[in-house]
Amino acid sequence: MRAFFDMGGYAAFVWPAYAVTLAVILLNIFWARRALERSRAEARRRLQMQREVP
Amino acid sequence: MNRSDGNIAQPLAALAPADPEMRTAACHRASALEAIRLALLRDLQLALRKRGQLVQPLAFFAMVTLLFPLAISPELARLRELAPGVVWVGALLGSLLALEFLFRDDAHDGTLEQYALSGQSLTALMTAKTIAHWLLTGLPLALMAPLAAVSLGVRTGALPGILLAVAVGSVALSLIGSIGAALTLGIKRSGALLSLLTLPLSLPVLIFGARATQLAIHGASFVAPLELLGALAVLGGTLAPLAAAAAVRISLE
Amino acid sequence: MNWTWFHRLASPPHVYALAARLTRWFAWPAALCIAAGLWGGLVLAPPDYLQGDGFRILYVHAPSAWMSLMVYVTMAGAAAIGLIWRMKVAHAVAASCAPIGASFTVAALVTGALWGQPMWGTYWEWDPRLTSELVLLFLYLGYMGLRAGIEDPQRADRASAMLAVVGVVNVPIIHYSVTWWNSLHQAPSVMRLAKPAMPLGMLVPLLLMLLGFTLFFIALLLTRLRGEVLARERTASWIREVVRA
Repeated sequence: MRAFFDMGGYAAFVWPAYAVTLAVILLNIFWARRALERSRAEARRRLQMQREVP
Repeated sequence: MNRSDGNIAQPLAALAPADPEMRTAACHRASALEAIRLALLRDLQLALRKRGQLVQPLAFFAMVTLLFPLAISPELARLRELAPGVVWVGALLGSLLALEFLFRDDAHDGTLEQYALSGQSLTALMTAKTIAHWLLTGLPLALMAPLAAVSLGVRTGALPGILLAVAVGSVALSLIGSIGAALTLGIKRSGALLSLLTLPLSLPVLIFGARATQLAIHGASFVAPLELLGALAVLGGTLAPLAAAAAVRISLE
Repeated sequence: MNWTWFHRLASPPHVYALAARLTRWFAWPAALCIAAGLWGGLVLAPPDYLQGDGFRILYVHAPSAWMSLMVYVTMAGAAAIGLIWRMKVAHAVAASCAPIGASFTVAALVTGALWGQPMWGTYWEWDPRLTSELVLLFLYLGYMGLRAGIEDPQRADRASAMLAVVGVVNVPIIHYSVTWWNSLHQAPSVMRLAKPAMPLGMLVPLLLMLLGFTLFFIALLLTRLRGEVLARERTASWIREVVRA
């Protein structure tokens, strides 16, 4: 187990690399979902404004 | 069109009538080559009235060349090593600065719209504008390059080669730059964005040009990179005006 | 041959509904492939005879680099379709691609640097691949900058589409000139793996990661596409149904 985390001495490089990639993956998921939510909220707002104008 | 005087208004009217019914008639009045010649002359005449503006890219180039010895070392031996890079970075940045002049005035006073509506090939007119721009900015930068090189300790034998390389390279730079300039038409304070768009596309010119300059300085044959520069200029010459014309149409929609 | 399915791809409400339905069919397989690839790459694959366990960065670096390039080509392709056939949906696809591609280009650069330090002794190396990745990042930033700088959405779509097409034509030219430049200066060799061919135990996890990342991209694209399509449909009635849901 320790050998696994040690990565043959390269742990200081391998694990940050994986961490950065994971961060980018998670960021993309969060970002995409937030963009969709924002678009839906914006569309909802526009519709409401249209209804208010006779 | 408040910038034109009597000399220019007449041929321009032949070039770009606003009335759509007259458009067909005007197409017979000026052939594509005539149109290019007229547009080219117009740009040159108008630019030579604002001579001060033309000096700016050259002054910038000179300033950039001055920065490097101050920032690094006054030793000519060291500067000679860096000369290809400094000359080309200076020329590239100078040509970027000059790009603002390409469409700015014409977009501002509606000439560009006239060009688009004129029924003349917008691609041909873009070629004309780019040629004029090169004559007014690229060529002067190329003529200045040997001066910059001498100030960095380059021997006189290398100077013709340097002039040639920057002359050919600056043609490619003007062509590549016209695309970015056309895309950013009407965006306020687009200088940084224009640089961001144009620089990645200009990298091959920089790489081949600097290499040609380096070989010239060492007295070796610089034909190979020069040919690559020429190829880029030719490729740019065929494709860039097309792309710029399309971009102008998009910007004017 | 019935082409209706193809023509329907131009219809925003259809695309919106389709994207909503399809996302999970790409998201879950993506997670599976990546998990399997990680297991294979981190645990099962034998250490490289030259680089030891350090080579395992490959399993995140290569997919990231692949993503950066693949997404750019997709973006340019969608942009070209949008320009030629004036399809709003195509422009929406292109807009969706940009942030995804840019972020994975950053990942490729960072993982490349982290790989470089133990292998070459330096975090940054001006080798053709890393240099080209850096240029690609600037191409993405330029695209996103142009989009942000133009206010009219249709003009922003078309201008940035033009830029993407010009960019994709230039990518091979830039890569060639950077490789040429690099070979002149005889820079130290780029990261090399056990030659000749990679043993299967190393290759299969890599392929799984590449596949997993690609599926992930499609899932992300579908999610972002829905938002982009919505934003381009100002007054259409189908929005009412969607927004209430």
